[in-house]
Formats: sequence, structure tokens, C-alpha cells
Amino acid sequence: MTDRRRINGPPSGTRPAVFASSLKSASGAATERPRRHRQPNELRKIFLKTGLIPSASGSAYLEYEPSASLAAARSSPQSLIPPSSALKLACTVHGPKPLPRSATFSPNLVLTTHVKYAPFAARQRKGHIRDASERDLGVHLETALRGVIVAERWPKSGLDITITILEAEDDRWWGDAPDSHDAPWGMMNVLAGCITAASAAIADARIDCLDLVAGGVAAIVSDDAAAEEGNSSTPKLMLDTDPAEHKSILSACVVAYMPARDEITEIWLKGDHSKASLGVDDSSLGHEALIDGAVNAARGAHTVLVEAVRESAERYAGLSNSDS
Amino acid sequence: MASSAPPPALTLPPSQFARLQPHAYLLAHLSPPAASNQPSLRANGRQPAQFRPTSANTGSLTHTNGSAVVRVGDTTAVCGVRAELLPTSDIASWSVSHASSGAKHRQNTTKNDADADADESQIQDLNLLVPNLSLSTGCAPGFVPGAPPSALAQSLSHQILGLLHSTRLVRAEDLRVWYQVPSFGGDGDMDVDADDEGQKKKNDGKEIKAFWVLYIDIMIISLAGNAFDAAWAAVLAALRDTRLPRAWWDADNEMVVCSETVAEATRLSLRGLPIASSFCVFEADAAAGWRAVIVPDAEEEKKIEEDQRRGMQRRWILADPDGYEEGLSQERVCLVVDREMGKTVIVKMEKNGGWAVDGRELKQLVDIAAERWESLKLILEQC
Repeated sequence: MTDRRRINGPPSGTRPAVFASSLKSASGAATERPRRHRQPNELRKIFLKTGLIPSASGSAYLEYEPSASLAAARSSPQSLIPPSSALKLACTVHGPKPLPRSATFSPNLVLTTHVKYAPFAARQRKGHIRDASERDLGVHLETALRGVIVAERWPKSGLDITITILEAEDDRWWGDAPDSHDAPWGMMNVLAGCITAASAAIADARIDCLDLVAGGVAAIVSDDAAAEEGNSSTPKLMLDTDPAEHKSILSACVVAYMPARDEITEIWLKGDHSKASLGVDDSSLGHEALIDGAVNAARGAHTVLVEAVRESAERYAGLSNSDS
Repeated sequence: MASSAPPPALTLPPSQFARLQPHAYLLAHLSPPAASNQPSLRANGRQPAQFRPTSANTGSLTHTNGSAVVRVGDTTAVCGVRAELLPTSDIASWSVSHASSGAKHRQNTTKNDADADADESQIQDLNLLVPNLSLSTGCAPGFVPGAPPSALAQSLSHQILGLLHSTRLVRAEDLRVWYQVPSFGGDGDMDVDADDEGQKKKNDGKEIKAFWVLYIDIMIISLAGNAFDAAWAAVLAALRDTRLPRAWWDADNEMVVCSETVAEATRLSLRGLPIASSFCVFEADAAAGWRAVIVPDAEEEKKIEEDQRRGMQRRWILADPDGYEEGLSQERVCLVVDREMGKTVIVKMEKNGGWAVDGRELKQLVDIAAERWESLKLILEQC
């Protein structure tokens, strides 16, 4: 059934543009997979700013630094196909506000999270109605934040957290897209960004928290450069992976981590990490190394978060001084 | 110690007074007591005819053909244009309707103005422009995220669609993907069977194989009044930024194929630069909105004019209202103007909610909108 509340396109539907270079599969190596120029434990820079949306009680805008290939493509555009993309999202917090009369009594703050991709956020056009993956992200985000907020301070109230993703991470390199049935790795980066941004927005709304929770991603990738040399491809642990830059990601992990309490509120681990023995002397299990890596990535994001929240606090202090 | 200072009188900080008595607060700002010698300003510090500072930024979103972020004060609109292809084989009525419109098209190819008629109808008939505005982004407390679009969002989407159609901003020619049918055999044969096979082949062997459909999605990230102006400016900036890849019909694969080279991509050639400016009317009488609407008779008009002569203003027309002012006024005016060769062209004029603005005042508003056109044009050209 067509959506009568929105303006629909042609009834027969439309097709995304097909580029000539992707048709010539044999000689399709005109463009190369973007390469990771960072060290395995080097994170992308994060731009995080609070208070951009004055009508909300708290808000944050988060943007990842574009990868080297994307930055090059931006400055001197050659191809209309972007090599990779960088996360951009806006988060708003409304509340604490009274629950509607119809709601049952709750002694705690009721947290609701909405994550929505903009229709132009990904390589494939997204629908206007939230799909299952977006709802899934919302649930993950809720569990990550529920452990952080001191919920019993606001009985009978609700807190709405809304995240609009303006640009999402790619799930894989676009050149691989037709034949790979990989897990959507980009979602994990998006979740880590959501957690960090939501944490900043909650602090901006002056909701009591145990600590600032930060999101981090680590992945075990089998390096294709080593495979080309003929070596048996040894899987490596990489922090803050951009899925477009790696040929195959064996497993990945997102954590929501509170550094001051050394606590993890949410963990999401995906993929096969049993085969990955990281180094000969390293006998530690794959998943432990993976979680440690993700925690390290979260620590990195936490430093940015602290700066953003300090800025928000200073702005608030200045505001209340000028008011009185 | 207790006797040294009298208990402080009950005072309210301005922000609380604004919440408790919004109407009186704005009125006090607009009509300060004559003794205080203060200028009449709005609560946000602007002149009645002053717009909020505006900034625009284009081309920052990776997965779009064109994108723009426009901030008007605290209202932020993000617009992304995505182009997808609609093959004519997918259009159910194509073979029937094309024959007639093609004939019209061919007759008028020499005249550009007449050609526009066919253009417009094709964009409208085939829904080639698909604007959708979303307010459920947490932009303001009232809008529930995840719910279907609110009445305001639906109305704004349709206003934008209507304006896109009525201004004929996008040319249909930019959206067509042509195919030159190779002529096998001599020209003489072509002429013979052209009469039987319909109009298509007579059109110099060219036929339309597909159309670009532009999905124009506007996310209002932050809403502080006057969403329409910001959304329309974002649409305009994003369309100016839009590049369509060169597309051609690949006869071997029987599909439309695009070139990824940026140098071959073409920008849209837009018709004019229509720019929207909105106004609202603030009445000094707080109950004006509640009363039964009565057309002021001649006596009343005289009284109002007399008051104005004495410097007692009863109503103010506020340009670019913010959320606070929008909540306090009933009457709205929206003007969309364009300027061609120094002349102001009114593209759209909409006024509702009251009787205050008359012809004389509308003329003044058009002048203000023309000034706004100049300033916004500079902003859009710089980004």
C-alpha cells in the first residue's frame, strides 16, 4: 500500500543509477579499494558538539573525520561514486517530562530511543518508516544508556532520545557489494557513534549519570595485503575500523564503556573469532582481545566526549550567570 | 539583621515572565513606554522587518547528488537530493501518452516558451520530483519520533511540491535520458513506415528511454519557527548543487547506464531563483484571535488610522517569526518572489488567518521580500 501521508514517487518505482564501470567486471579495477592509512590502534578524529538544537533540552552533533580516500575525493572529485563515507549524526534529548496519563506508574525514568536513517544516509535509499535494523539499533542504544542514567531520580517521567543519521558508514566496500553476503558491519560503527553522541546529549540535558559512556569498535580483519604476498593471511586486530577499507572482517565488537567505573553497559560481538589467534605467542582468546580493543577505542572517544561536555557546562554556566 | 533589608519584592527573571505572560511580554517589547525612550524591538532583539542571520552550506553529504544545510537563526534544515532512474518501459501509459506529447513537443521545438508547457506536464504527470519533509527528528518537543508525519510536515511537503511545480524550477529536459535510434537502412524507408508506427520515430530518431526522478528529502534538524523558509532555501541550495551523471541507453544490456566521471556530470539549469519570506502579524489585542471575525467598518478603520497617527500601533508585522512569535499570532503571510532583470516577480502569495494585512501593506511586504531576495541570493551564491 502506498504511504498516503507522504509524497510518493512514480508508482512503478525507480531504479538506482547503474554506473558503466561496475558493469565491466573484468576490467573493473579502475578504482581501488580505499586503504587504511592509520595505524591499527589509531582512531579517526571525532567532531562532537553539544547544544546545536536549542529547542531540545539536550543535543549533540557527531561527525567522524573522513578517511584519506574520501577527503581526497572531496577535494578533487574524479568519480561520482564516493570511495567511503563518514558518519554524521544528530542526537536530541527531550525531557525529563511527565509520562502521559495513560502510562502505567513507573518509579524510574522511562527511556525511549529512536534511531532513524535519513533517506539519503546510505548508498541505498532508505525508506521513511523505520525498518528492523533501525529498531535494533534503538534497542542496543537503550541498553547501553539504561545502565548509565540514574533512573530513580525521576519517577513517573520519560526521556526521549532521538538520533537522526545523516550519513552512515558503509557496510563494505561498494565494489564488493554484489557478491558478498557479509554482515552489516557499518551498523556497529553507527552504534558506537550513537552511544557517544547520546551520552554527550544526555550530559547536555543535565541528566544525572554515573559516568560518561563512550562507544568503541574493534574488529579482527584478515589483511589482504599479506594475502597478496603469499603469506597465510594473519588476522589482525584493528581499532575503529572503516568497513570500506578492509576486504574481509572476521568479527567485530562494539562496547559502551564507562572508563571511571571500568564498566561495560552494552556489548555486541559479531562474527567468527575462534580461528583468529592473534600472533603466535598470544594465547589469549580472540574475543577477549577484541573486547579489549573495543574498550581502548571507547577510551579514545571518551577524551573527545569529556571536552564536549566541558564546553556544554561552560556554556550553561555562562548562560545562568547572564540570566540572573 | 532581620530588619536591615526588607524582603525582596517578587521579581521574575525575563525568561520566566516570557513563559508566564507571552503576549504581554512581546507587547511590552514592541511598544515600550514613551518615557523610556527605547526603540520598538521584538523580544529577540530584531527589528520588525529584520530576518534572522542565515547561513548555507552545500555538498557535504556523500551519498547524495546534491545536498545543502541551511540555518535560519535556530532553525536548521538539511536537504539531500537523490536521483534515480525511471525507465519509460516502467511507465504504464507511456506508449499512449508519449505519442501525443511528442507531437506537441516537436511542433514547438523552435519556441522555448511554448516548449515549457510540455515540460511542466511531464514533471507533474510522472511525479519526477518527490519532496518529503520530516519533522520527526526530535527537532522540537511536540513531534513524536517514529510516528507518521504530522499535519504540519504533510502540509509543508505539499507546499514545497506545489511551489516546485508552479515555479517550474526544474526543467524536464534536464531529467530526460535520450537515445538516438540508429537508422538501419535508408531514410526513404524510414519515412514510409514512420506514418504507421507512430510519432516516435519521426522525432529525428530520438526517443526518451528514461527519466531522472529527484527524491528531495528535507530533514528539519532543529525547529525554531518559520520552517517553510528554511526548508525552501535548503531545497533551492541543494538543487543548485545537484549534479546528474551523464546517462545513456546501453542497447546491449537493455538498460540505462551512467558515467561516473565528474567532468561529464551536468548541473541542473534551474529557472530563476524564487525565494520565500514569511511574516506573521502580532495583534496588541490579546483576544483578537478569539473574537468573531468582523470586517472593520469605515468608522473603525478611521479610529485605527488615527491611533497610528498618534503613534499608537495596534499591530505589528514581524518578518521571519521565530517559534515564540509564531505561537502568538494568527495571521500569516508567505511571499515567494523572484527578480528578473531588476523587476520583482511575485511567484506565490499566501495569506491567511486574519484581516490585518491589506493591499497597501502587502505592497510593503513585497518590497521587504525583494530585499530578502538580494541578501539570500548572495548567501546562496557564496556557498
